[in-house]
Amino acid sequence: MLELRKVTKQFGGLTALQDVEFTVETGELVALVGPNGAGKSTLFNIIAGAFPPTGGAVIFKGTDVTGYSSHGLARLGVARTFQQTTLFGEQTALENVLHGLHRHLPARLVAGLLELPSYRREQREVERRALGVLELLGIAAYRDAIAADLPLGIQKLLTVAIALATEPVLLLLDEPAAGLSHDEATRMMNLVASEIRQRCTVLLVEHNMRIVAGWCDRAVVLHFGQKIYDGTPDGLTRDQRVVDAYLGVAEIG
Amino acid sequence: MKRGLLTLVVAALALLPPLGAPYVLHVAIVVLVHVVYAQALYIIMRMGYLSFGHAGYIALGGYTSALLATKLAISPWIGFVAGGIVAALLAWALGAVTLKLRGIYFSLSVFAFAEVVNAVFRAFEFFGGPAGIAAVPRPGLFGARLNTHLQFYYVVLAVTLISVVFLYRLQWTRFGFTLLSLRTSATEALAESIGINAARHKTLAFVASCFFCGVMGAVHVHYLRFVSPFVFTFFLSTDLMVYVMVGGLGSFWGPMLGTVLLTGLGEQLFAAGYYKSLVYAVVLLVVILALPGGLISLPHVFRRGAATERATPAAEVAAPRER
Repeated sequence: MLELRKVTKQFGGLTALQDVEFTVETGELVALVGPNGAGKSTLFNIIAGAFPPTGGAVIFKGTDVTGYSSHGLARLGVARTFQQTTLFGEQTALENVLHGLHRHLPARLVAGLLELPSYRREQREVERRALGVLELLGIAAYRDAIAADLPLGIQKLLTVAIALATEPVLLLLDEPAAGLSHDEATRMMNLVASEIRQRCTVLLVEHNMRIVAGWCDRAVVLHFGQKIYDGTPDGLTRDQRVVDAYLGVAEIG
Repeated sequence: MKRGLLTLVVAALALLPPLGAPYVLHVAIVVLVHVVYAQALYIIMRMGYLSFGHAGYIALGGYTSALLATKLAISPWIGFVAGGIVAALLAWALGAVTLKLRGIYFSLSVFAFAEVVNAVFRAFEFFGGPAGIAAVPRPGLFGARLNTHLQFYYVVLAVTLISVVFLYRLQWTRFGFTLLSLRTSATEALAESIGINAARHKTLAFVASCFFCGVMGAVHVHYLRFVSPFVFTFFLSTDLMVYVMVGGLGSFWGPMLGTVLLTGLGEQLFAAGYYKSLVYAVVLLVVILALPGGLISLPHVFRRGAATERATPAAEVAAPRER
């Protein structure tokens, strides 16, 4: 599904990632773990096409997609959420998800300008589809609420809904549970591990060990831009290098 | 009710003018022309872009049609469309490069472009130099020239209605809806991540905006029967932004309201040039400080009541939603 080959990223003289290699198989739920500044978000941005790596390659579904644009990758089936909860804040929850459906909809500019009956019917169908995504995540009640006014827990679910609406093959979640209460985080991860992973492969950034151990199949640990661990979540706490990396900043919940 | 009101306005615009004096018709023509400029500018302001150079595209449309008519005796009807196309092509060329920039960088690049356009018109004799192009003919219809104010008023009204209806419908299409996802650089990154080609959408929006400015610029020049580098200047670009801001960015009808009030009433009450700028400045300041959503947000503000209005985050007031 996804294969990283010797991915390296330098910002000026600073090496953010050094020869990072791992693979994600179809249907897996993998956590990318590491202390602050380990390069997790940089790697995420490279996989999602926000910027290209300095060296190495990203292979997605057998194609070398290194240097592809963000919207190009989205069209291939890579969706993501952002660490800072990013939404179309002035629009309703439903409209947010409607944007997510963009890649599946033809432009139909003329039909739209003339407001043809077929276009209206199609539009209602599209709204039903968007509502379906909200229902899947249990937030359909907020369909007409302005996104910026929603509580953080709902906003986080909405960012996932937008990404899910693109019907991705690979979903990248950047700290989906950050800032959430214990219960909210549990709700989020239960959804990720059930409804969402039935639909796509998931790679998530997380440094909460409760989440990694509780819901993920596998953990990849980055430390100062290098991969230091790749294996089961259980093995994490027994790995000396991981323990060293986390020493003093452990978040074992 | 809204539909009824619109029908009434259109009927009044179509039926009342024969009763008006030439001067009233002149004001009506000026207002309609600026309504199209402001509505066209609104497309890109709705995406969070300020253009300090839309007058450049208006001038391109005007000069194109004026040159075609005076040098090649090509019908102004064709000239109107040609003016729009030339403006659109140059908007595409500039937009493809500069729409990656946000904020002041984009604004300055458009400003610089408009100044270059202006300088070229001034420098070359082919474009009439500083004196401009005189004796631009009015269009003809069924063998007669549309020379009276009343006749030309209907030309302007027709172009205005077509443009405004198109621009209004455009924002309710999928394309128009997608433009709403590109308001800030953060939402643009999100839009890109869900497969929206931001650069293409922004360029197309800019091209559409400049096309209508070009068409109306051509109509405007054939109305004035004259064009020079001093007709469409930087001050027109800033006036247009003032109209949009004063009317309000939150609704399609905001820019129209601002334009009608400021060009219509403004020209009437403060005919002298210096006072006009002063009044615009004061009105703009008052609106920005007291009513960030523009005049169109007044009913919205009243409905919420003063107390809750103050508690609302500024961003939301600045762009109240369309319903």
